[in-house]
Amino acid sequence: MKKKLTSRIAGGVALASAAALALAACGSSGSGSSAAGGTTTLKLVVADYGTGPANTSSKYWATIVTAFEKAYPNVKVNVTTIAWTNFDQEVQTMIQNKQYPDITEGDYFSNYAQDGLLYPASGVLSDPGNLLPAFKTQGTYNGTQYGMPFTTSSRTLFYNKKLFAQAGIASAPQTWAEVEADAAKVTKLGDVGFGLPLGSEEAQAESLLWMLGDGGGYQTAGKYTIDSPANVSAFTFLKGLVSAGDTEPNPGTVDRTPLWEQFAQGKIGMINGSPALIPIIQSAGDLTSSDWTSVPIAGKNGPLATTLGVCDNVSAFSPNGHEAQIKEFLNFAYQDKYQLAFDREYDLLPATVTASKALSSDPVFGPFLTALPNSVQYPSDTSWATVKAKIQQTIGLAVSGSPASELTQLQQIATSSAS
Amino acid sequence: MPAALRRFAPLLWLGPAVALIGVVVLWPVVVMVQSSFQRIGGEGFVAGYDGIDNYDNLFHEPDVVSVLVRTLVWVVVVVSVTVLISLGLAQLFHQKFPGRRIARWALIIPWAASVMMSALIFKWALDPNVGVINVILHDLGILKQLGSNQADALGNPTSALAWMMAVAVFVSLPFTTYAILAGLQGIPDDVYEAASIDGATSWRGYLGVTLPLLRPAILVATLINVINVFNSFPIIWEMTGGGPGYETSTSTIYMVDLKESDVGQSASMSVINFLLVIVIVLIYLSTTRWKEQVDR
Repeated sequence: MKKKLTSRIAGGVALASAAALALAACGSSGSGSSAAGGTTTLKLVVADYGTGPANTSSKYWATIVTAFEKAYPNVKVNVTTIAWTNFDQEVQTMIQNKQYPDITEGDYFSNYAQDGLLYPASGVLSDPGNLLPAFKTQGTYNGTQYGMPFTTSSRTLFYNKKLFAQAGIASAPQTWAEVEADAAKVTKLGDVGFGLPLGSEEAQAESLLWMLGDGGGYQTAGKYTIDSPANVSAFTFLKGLVSAGDTEPNPGTVDRTPLWEQFAQGKIGMINGSPALIPIIQSAGDLTSSDWTSVPIAGKNGPLATTLGVCDNVSAFSPNGHEAQIKEFLNFAYQDKYQLAFDREYDLLPATVTASKALSSDPVFGPFLTALPNSVQYPSDTSWATVKAKIQQTIGLAVSGSPASELTQLQQIATSSAS
Repeated sequence: MPAALRRFAPLLWLGPAVALIGVVVLWPVVVMVQSSFQRIGGEGFVAGYDGIDNYDNLFHEPDVVSVLVRTLVWVVVVVSVTVLISLGLAQLFHQKFPGRRIARWALIIPWAASVMMSALIFKWALDPNVGVINVILHDLGILKQLGSNQADALGNPTSALAWMMAVAVFVSLPFTTYAILAGLQGIPDDVYEAASIDGATSWRGYLGVTLPLLRPAILVATLINVINVFNSFPIIWEMTGGGPGYETSTSTIYMVDLKESDVGQSASMSVINFLLVIVIVLIYLSTTRWKEQVDR
């Protein structure tokens, strides 16, 4: 028996080693961007805004890259598209493994600037002044702008007019009390009253929209105040909504994308959304444009005066040393025609002054654009990456457990990572 | 060849394998332990050693104890259920029946399919609104309403864990069944003949002859399963992501989550995982007195 077992073990070891070798081979193939024969290859990593293969962001970027490579034959651009849910983590893994991208388009985090991994905007754009000034603070670290807004959006409350009519509701809710009453009525029809995505995909946005409703937020004067009484009151209200059964079950485990799709199928009464929800509604084909509309988000005592403004940023990474080529590419990609093409494709808003001017008279986008300059934004300090990840994972517990103690825990994590 | 050189000849054969183990197995362990004593942030930059701070912080995380307990429950339940079912399955596949060859091949499928794919299939099948499992339960009248709390098995930590354990058992069955089946085929017929001459019933024969002779096979199958299931990642990651909060996380999932914000602390979680696996394996080996089994 002994001999057999040892030979079996030896066989196992050989197999495992072979597998390990194969794995190692995979690992070494990712090194990429090196200059060969005067050609520089830029590694561009972008988030995917599409709802499927038909409008994936790789198509949008392929158009730019093809035109760019024709104009600049010495520079090649490799595009990697990543789903939003995994974007932060995958970019971070590249950075932890020192396989740096040259350009990312998606979330920007100031801790990358703090670690000296980024080029300032002034080094990689000929005219950084053309970026919307409203989002400058968010991309700024220590007085220098690193995060360059590429696309922006603001949040509104979408509701299903068909379901509202069936439930006998005359107008859009403006206060939390009305949200509660309307959600209950829609739930009675057998649909979801309010869609509340507190799962890890974008819990930080949904939470902030409710915090703002009672005058709360993540920070007050640059200091974290996640467990402020206003925030606790917001989550206490949400907990009531959830336990009354007026939301989808277990909001802490539900992500934004599937819930938006469910709204598009006409099965949800109300949901907070951005313009990016519009193409999802259109491609589902269950709701006509008169079946839904969007209004300012309801607050505790009235609709929000300022909403959440989100910008997705371009960051230019310095470790590969491709500053000149990045500048060529970004100047090219930031042209108005590409900005506007992006907004047409995904119903989002432009991030440059000139492109915004071109859109300001647009009947759909105009109102969103005028609201942008005084919108509320996410914190911009270096601890935000950590705090955001923690919020995404755990804030859903505040509507199933105790709102106060969950928010207190998050506050402790935030203050300890900010110090 | 001079005699002095000939003495080193075995090195030629052993060298590559030893080097491989050194580079792909031992070296990562060294780096893992080293990282667990270093301060490494989310960007992977090493900011010097910080003693046992990572471990200290780790054990002050409010979730870590429940995560560890859950991991132990996960391993014990998944492995024991897998081995029990596999014992039965192996016995079935050991019988002669028409189509046995095809049935044995079919058993490979859950093993050959990517675990991530299996996990996703179950996740979709459990969708509260349109998942096929819920639709069937609804049609049978067991589930009152689609889209309700009752239909959202993956939203509730307890039922989510039960389902994920079922998936883990499902993907572990093929290997375990094959290992035990191989053991069964190694038992000579004359042992059973002797037992039946001695008047043993078939159940008595199973307990007195089959099981003892299967021990080496069960031992190996269980050990490999313990290690696999302990480090099992794709099922939980795809089906619940460890959520809500960390209420369905095992230590492997928790370690990956930690890596997002603190690589050093994540490494200390890895070290603890590593030690736990070793301890569990040692306890298992000593209680089953493996040396007697293997040396016999």
